[in-house]
Amino acid sequence: MAHLLTERKPYLLLLILLTFNLGLMSSRIKSGGQRSLLEEAVMSLVSPFLKAAAWTGQGVSETWRTYVGLRGVERENRRLRVETDALALRAREAEEARQELARLRELLDLRDSVPWTTVAARVIARGADGSARIVTLDRGSSDGVRLNQPVLTPRGIVGRVIEAAPGASKVQTILDPNSGVAGLIQRTRVQGMVVGVGERGCRMEYVSELSNVEVGDVIVASGLDQIYPKGYTIGVVASIGEGEGLTKLVELRPEVDFRRLEEVLVVLKPEGSPERNSP
Amino acid sequence: MRIARGALALGAAALAQALLSRYVPALARYCDLFTIIVVYYGLTSPPTAAMMMGTGAGLVEDSLLGAVLGMNGFKKTLIGYLVGSFGSLFMLNQPIPRFGILFAATALDPLAELGLSVAMGRGFVVPGTLDLLQRGLGNGVLGLLFFWVAARLP
Repeated sequence: MAHLLTERKPYLLLLILLTFNLGLMSSRIKSGGQRSLLEEAVMSLVSPFLKAAAWTGQGVSETWRTYVGLRGVERENRRLRVETDALALRAREAEEARQELARLRELLDLRDSVPWTTVAARVIARGADGSARIVTLDRGSSDGVRLNQPVLTPRGIVGRVIEAAPGASKVQTILDPNSGVAGLIQRTRVQGMVVGVGERGCRMEYVSELSNVEVGDVIVASGLDQIYPKGYTIGVVASIGEGEGLTKLVELRPEVDFRRLEEVLVVLKPEGSPERNSP
Repeated sequence: MRIARGALALGAAALAQALLSRYVPALARYCDLFTIIVVYYGLTSPPTAAMMMGTGAGLVEDSLLGAVLGMNGFKKTLIGYLVGSFGSLFMLNQPIPRFGILFAATALDPLAELGLSVAMGRGFVVPGTLDLLQRGLGNGVLGLLFFWVAARLP
């Protein structure tokens, strides 16, 4: 009997399972569509899968939307970066132009105030060692630039022309140890000779030990050297020490910032009768 | 272990079928993952296991589809038994015979439903030949893919 059952096990199982399923169907049909306990049990077993499917689907959709959105954001980000770079460049150019305009305005004011013919020039080179003892301008003899003509900025005296080629000229600034400007202390009218001491600035020599000089006094050109126009600022007294003999050693801080020198004004006719500025 | 694997496969099939019917209904029409699982068990396990899997898969499918509980259980049990019996008589470990079995099982499904509906006096829709062919082909191809993947699982 046991052997028979084992041998017929698949058939028996088939019969049981088919009957079970038929029973389920019949009960459903008999109950007029109402759910049985078994149906509810199966449904509660299956519902997690349905929820998982919905959750997975939503997750995939959301991820896809986010991915697509991120791609859009990335594209927009790239475009905005390019625009930002372009705008930053334009802003820098505008700022540069604004600063240049301000400098040129100052130069124009100076030009109007100078009673001689002048020509504006740009500094196109400095000394080979990077110092500002000698600077090169983009104006030369073809523009009327000649030797020993003074060079100014709105802040004060820069130096004098020492070489003039047709399209460029070289200027010896007042920082050069070989330069010399006849100067006077504006407050006390004490006179002396201003010479350069390199990047450290200038020094006023031949100032009497008895003269009244104070730190902060303004030194201007006296005009006695026949090169620099009288009254233009050279610098400010930075320190006072003892000089040789009966003199004082007066250290000056030039008013002109030679490290940032860009535009200057060359005075073409400092001597003789005043003429109007050339265009 | 085998029961756990079976339950896991059933769960995965339910999830995949639910996803398909929700997002790709046109494809879901030609893919019956539960039939594929029952055929797989019929060809790789004793007929008893295939029948048990058939009943389980059918009941889950009934719940998913909202059909009369037991309708798919009956059909899948029958398919499990037939495939299991057939598989124990012949060597069906090559793709073409397996495709044939998958195709036949898929075609048997609506036919069995037709028979049941007639027997129970319920309304039914006679499946079209083209529809049967399409379902058989879809399930055959997908079933072979399933066999290929299952053979590589640890």
